[in-house]
Amino acid sequence: MRTRGGGLRTLRRDYQLWIMIAPAIAAVLIFNYIPMYGIQLSFRDFDFSKGLTGGEWRGLDYFRQFIDSYLFSDLMRNTFLISLATIIVGFPAPIILALILNQIRRKRMKTLMQTTVYLPHFISIIVLVGMMNVLMSPETGVIGYMMKGLGLGHINLIASTNTFIPVYVLSDIWQHCGWNSIIYLAALSTVDPQLYDSAKIDGASRWQLIRNVDIPALIPTILILFILSMGNILSTGFEKIFLMQNSLNLPVSEVISTYVYKIGIISNQFSYASAIGLFNTVINFVFLFAMNAISKKMSNTSLY
Amino acid sequence: MALKGLTGKELAFHIVLYALCAVIFLIIVYPLYFIIIASFSDSTLVSTGKVLLFPKGSSLFGYKEIFQDSRVWIGYRNTLFYTVFGTFVNMLFTMPAAYVLSRKEFKARRPIMFLFVITMFFNGGLIPTYLLMKDLHLTNTFWVFILPFCVNIFFLIIARTFFETALPAELHEAAVMDGCSHFMYFAKVALPLSKALISVIGLYYLVGHWNDFFTGLIYIRDNNLQPLQIVLRDILLSNQVFQNGAGTGGGAASGGYAQRYADQIKYGVIIVSSLPILMLYPFLQKYFEKGVMIGSVKG
Amino acid sequence: MRKKVVSFISVLLAATTMMSACSNSGGNNGNGNTNTGSSPTANSSTGTDSGKKVKLTAIMTKHPLTKPLKEMEWLQQVEDKAGVEIEWQEITADWDQKKGTMLASGDVPDLFIGPNVITDADFAQFQGLFQDLSGMLDQAPNVTAMFEAKPETKKIAEQSDGKIFGLPKYQRYWPSTASRMYINQKWLDNLSLSMPTTWDELYDVLVAFKEKDANGNGDPNDEIPMDWPGGIGGYFNAAYLLSGTGMTLTDGSPQGYFVEDGKVKNFLVDERYKTMVTFLNKLNKAGLINPEVFTHDYTKYQSVARGEGDMAKVGFTFGWVASDRFGEQLAPQYTSMSPIKATPDSAVSWSYDYNSLNYGINQIVMSAKSKNKEAVMRFINELYAPDMGMQVLFGSLGPNIKDNGDGSYSVLPPADTKMDPGTWKWTSTMADNGAFYIPDTLQLTLGKDMQEVLEQSKPIDAIQIDVDNDVFPGFLKYSSADNSTMGLNNTNVMNLANTNFAKWVTKGGIESDWDSYVKESEKAGLKQNLEIMQKYYDEYKKQ
Repeated sequence: MRTRGGGLRTLRRDYQLWIMIAPAIAAVLIFNYIPMYGIQLSFRDFDFSKGLTGGEWRGLDYFRQFIDSYLFSDLMRNTFLISLATIIVGFPAPIILALILNQIRRKRMKTLMQTTVYLPHFISIIVLVGMMNVLMSPETGVIGYMMKGLGLGHINLIASTNTFIPVYVLSDIWQHCGWNSIIYLAALSTVDPQLYDSAKIDGASRWQLIRNVDIPALIPTILILFILSMGNILSTGFEKIFLMQNSLNLPVSEVISTYVYKIGIISNQFSYASAIGLFNTVINFVFLFAMNAISKKMSNTSLY
Repeated sequence: MALKGLTGKELAFHIVLYALCAVIFLIIVYPLYFIIIASFSDSTLVSTGKVLLFPKGSSLFGYKEIFQDSRVWIGYRNTLFYTVFGTFVNMLFTMPAAYVLSRKEFKARRPIMFLFVITMFFNGGLIPTYLLMKDLHLTNTFWVFILPFCVNIFFLIIARTFFETALPAELHEAAVMDGCSHFMYFAKVALPLSKALISVIGLYYLVGHWNDFFTGLIYIRDNNLQPLQIVLRDILLSNQVFQNGAGTGGGAASGGYAQRYADQIKYGVIIVSSLPILMLYPFLQKYFEKGVMIGSVKG
Repeated sequence: MRKKVVSFISVLLAATTMMSACSNSGGNNGNGNTNTGSSPTANSSTGTDSGKKVKLTAIMTKHPLTKPLKEMEWLQQVEDKAGVEIEWQEITADWDQKKGTMLASGDVPDLFIGPNVITDADFAQFQGLFQDLSGMLDQAPNVTAMFEAKPETKKIAEQSDGKIFGLPKYQRYWPSTASRMYINQKWLDNLSLSMPTTWDELYDVLVAFKEKDANGNGDPNDEIPMDWPGGIGGYFNAAYLLSGTGMTLTDGSPQGYFVEDGKVKNFLVDERYKTMVTFLNKLNKAGLINPEVFTHDYTKYQSVARGEGDMAKVGFTFGWVASDRFGEQLAPQYTSMSPIKATPDSAVSWSYDYNSLNYGINQIVMSAKSKNKEAVMRFINELYAPDMGMQVLFGSLGPNIKDNGDGSYSVLPPADTKMDPGTWKWTSTMADNGAFYIPDTLQLTLGKDMQEVLEQSKPIDAIQIDVDNDVFPGFLKYSSADNSTMGLNNTNVMNLANTNFAKWVTKGGIESDWDSYVKESEKAGLKQNLEIMQKYYDEYKKQ
């Protein structure tokens, strides 16, 4: 097949495929790639009168400014810890939930459960945090009452440096677990019922069915989503953390995104904010790249 | 379905399963219930923890305030259009591309995928993007909600993975034998077999459009084009008294009147904004039922 | 299936028609700008006679309560007199986010109105985007009149090189401070206590509030002796106790900066601050401070103080005015207090906020790209007319202000009796967010709300403050570089300050931490900021 004009031949063979993907490529090129010249801003001064890319070249100055900045190590540590906790606890949760929901045989109950678990996804963050403040108030909140009832004492969950990350992660799971499980439920729906039947005839227990039929069906999706989640290692959400911050939990709750916001609103630090953003991106990308390589080697699953 | 006929092991499994479901259900439902009762209650009582199980000092002030605002209706109309049309365009761009990228014989798939994945991380920033939209004359038109970023790479990857794993290779071989082209195969075989996937991706896109307020915030100046989320955000903020501190801003201004009902509006807004999309899920859910796909292959 | 598709398509079509109608009008609006470019603007002097009004575009950052600008009668009059027709974009939220993109892309309207709508830092950064008004003032005699009657307004407006990009407002009536200190007089009377005048007396009073069932409802545990919104610095903050050490804050010193005898200092590293934190820790240990002080949001802070019915919950706290802080029902129980002395022989002072409450910087700004600069100037001139200022602030003559017929005016109470005067004002007009000038000669009787504020400010007004040597001037013009350095430093310093303040108040430990904390703060940029601010302050004093 390796003749000259092979490229042309595959092009002729695949022309329908090219037609199908052309709109997506065009959209990505136009809306994602054309503005990319803006990345230069991380290496230049922002000089309005000379245009976006006309400012003086500063090389890595802004990156150095960030790395040398007073809060750098705290920010990195907090950001890493929060997103690691989110991945470790938050990633398996929707998988487990999907497996549980998938076990329910009664149709009514299944519909009710599925519809319920996905509702919290639609609550806006302002309301979520407002509600957390009310419910977790040590004096007047339901959770405060319950903790007193259980003899857990008088802990202010929203104020302690020890409880900030658990509260953040668990509320995140509460909000998005059901929503994220949808994708796994869809994957489970592709399992051939014959597989169950034949396994049952072999005398497999419910637990064995889950382990040997359901989980393998989820593996490709799990791997891909896990690789992608590693690519978010430095991207914690901004709004929720910002709203949850108070002066007592600040030592663990100041993260890169909230810091950028705080320096940004005081004056338009376009170049500096852009450099911090790029710094984030590069680290995220390195993690994704590494994770993808590992996955490719071990299971032949890969993003690209 | 009686539990009598079950073996001991099965019975234990059921008990654990239902107990687990009950716990999950309660944990999720209580806060949702709280939002509903809070949207009817006096917000001073809400924030001092007096409202736990039943609404107190109830009134419909919050809802009245929300629906009084004519912008809400315009917002609903706009958002409905952006969501339906936008999702349609999304699917039109994403699904064929995902199918193509799932074909192993498509040589360019790796470089193209890499090109796409890059954009999940690197972007030029808001200002160059804004300038681009302005040059394309998309700013302050409804197109800005539809066209830009009509391919979400994350969803594209999910769809591609689904096509790769859920469509048996034999199916395609058989189809090719019958002289089936890619167009035909995609439209007649791949899509009908992927109802679960289409529902999921469609739902994801739909909700993305529904909740999007950033586009309206940055690119839209005309109030008649603003989506619901922007309108509701405005209403929400107009009742947050802490904005500027008293004297210079809201504090002294809003006084007791707005204060009492601030949270009613806050919680009411959530219900108003998400109810329509919540009602959608049960309709899509049937596509997640087990064996939908295989059944249709045979049928 | 087919039915579904059909209905889907029809929905789509219906929606498209609706939208295209909208986008048409949107498109025209956009073009309005260019059309007016070619329209004749020769009649620049008055422009009132011709039917052709000049079309302008403008952005106003208004309060979310404020009704649509089109419905304001006075604004219609101003536009008519100036011969312009303005298409307003009304912004109620997220202005900072919008502004950055808008300015950086150069996509700006003719006019901006709002409190510090475009900042001095923006002028420095986006050079050439905004119109220097200094050479055009002859077209705006009303503005010149304000500059002459109130020379400080000119000082506020001028950049260091004499250019004027934004005009200030002058609203004259506001008190000298935003924060007042309140104590529950009824509780004092119930327990036969006298008004505390020193920190030690305050401690005893708060202990009595806590232990003796001050509100008399039989539950000795539901009283919150002391409360503030949380954190350190800013209006209504516990830092106001520092006034009892003779320290004069400026605008509540949100980041700790203040001036003493002509020297710029920061209380966050001041020994007196250490004493105050130690005192607060003592209060906290005795359970006298709201345990949620560092975590509650403003809504809860306000809600708690409203008590239950006529049963008050909070003993001692800070606020703008009693009726706002405690609700109409409980307000009569509270008295506004004089500053509390740290020790019986301490001097007292307070926060001086007069300038920031009565003058606003950059309330109105013109784009240099505007094609109708004369028309914009005409509009600005009419807006600053002597009889217009009160209408911008309180609402139109008729529904909001009464002309008494003898040259004097009165602000009317709300037409909607359920509404308080403050909400009424913010609903009716641009209010404090507008650009205007209220001459000192105007005779205007204020509404009930403002009278209450002024009444409750009396204990504070009795204090002598040396404005020349003890108040930090609020409107200094920093260079772009200094501005960003200070911004970055303050982010770091405040991170450190907030964290430690909360820790010291709740857990103690300031004695052992203090020295290293001071060093850390200086390293985080406090020292550099003080040097920068001192430099600008000295230059300001020389003028």
